[in-house]
Amino acid sequence: MALINVAAREIHCKIVYYGPGMSGKTSNLQYIHNQVPKEAKGELLSIATETERTLFFDFLPLDLGKVRGFQTRFHLYTVPGQVLYERTRVAVLNGADGVVFVADSQRHKLEENIRSLRELAVNITKQNKKFQEFPVVLQYNKRDVPGALPTATLDKYLNTLGWQRYEATATNGSGVFDTLKAISKLVISKL
Amino acid sequence: MDPQLTSQIVPIEEVKVIEECLVRLAEDTGGNYVLLLDKSGQVITAQGDAARQDITALGALIAGTFASSREVAKLLREKDFRQLFTQGVRENIFIALIEDQWILCIIFNKGTHIGLVKVLTKKATDDLSVVLERVREQQKARDDVLGSSFRTSMEDTIDLLFRD
Repeated sequence: MALINVAAREIHCKIVYYGPGMSGKTSNLQYIHNQVPKEAKGELLSIATETERTLFFDFLPLDLGKVRGFQTRFHLYTVPGQVLYERTRVAVLNGADGVVFVADSQRHKLEENIRSLRELAVNITKQNKKFQEFPVVLQYNKRDVPGALPTATLDKYLNTLGWQRYEATATNGSGVFDTLKAISKLVISKL
Repeated sequence: MDPQLTSQIVPIEEVKVIEECLVRLAEDTGGNYVLLLDKSGQVITAQGDAARQDITALGALIAGTFASSREVAKLLREKDFRQLFTQGVRENIFIALIEDQWILCIIFNKGTHIGLVKVLTKKATDDLSVVLERVREQQKARDDVLGSSFRTSMEDTIDLLFRD
């Protein structure tokens, strides 16, 4: 749920990057953190294991500056993707205004993508929100990997609700901002 | 519009009431810092040491801790943990849930007794529950804030800022 503080003239929105382990959620945030101008971003906070796998979440506050007199902030989070951390994902999703589902385009990851997307639907529904109406943007990441599944195949299994979807290679930044723009606008349209 | 996706708008007069409540809690307990957060981790308002620069990250982490404790509660077949206490060498943190929506957090040092913090925080959460109820009921301010011109300006800003 977005928070609008009329006294401080601030609007806050929470966007969560969801998806299976190693699909590139943290890479998305790292790229955004590197590219956004200094005055518009806070520190990228990562709670990770020693091997740099996300343990709890990554957090990146973005400050869009004043829009019509309102200081507007987007808070970006990632969830830990590994199956083990299901309950942690529920915790991070709490109060999200929109979700980017980062799918891994590699052939052998298809089943994990499907399972993770199903879990997302269950978790959103548990928050008493209708999944069909919830703002979601789909990102097919790792398009640069040889033998990546055709987008038509990914659409067939993952995009049954007809979300906006973007192809991406988060490590070099391709498609990262297209995805962020799409989810930001979608969240704003639902405020 | 889906009511579940409705934004929460905290009007000016309610922010004033909240601030008074937080100031009172800080003064009466001798606490260093008091924060009111939404459960999504966003800071509604904060009182105390003005030099603190890290409240955005603090808000995200505290809300994360609370959300995580809620999942632990479920595993233990508890409804939820309404209060959390974290003890440090110099500073302690006491966190209390307000209904299921807001989180009140007080940071205090060794000079303050935890018992006093618990009692006064309970009183503050009762007062803030009433404010939360009023905030939930009020709807009218949204159109004043979020007209179509706001959304258009917002989209322009997004295009300008989010690019390679």
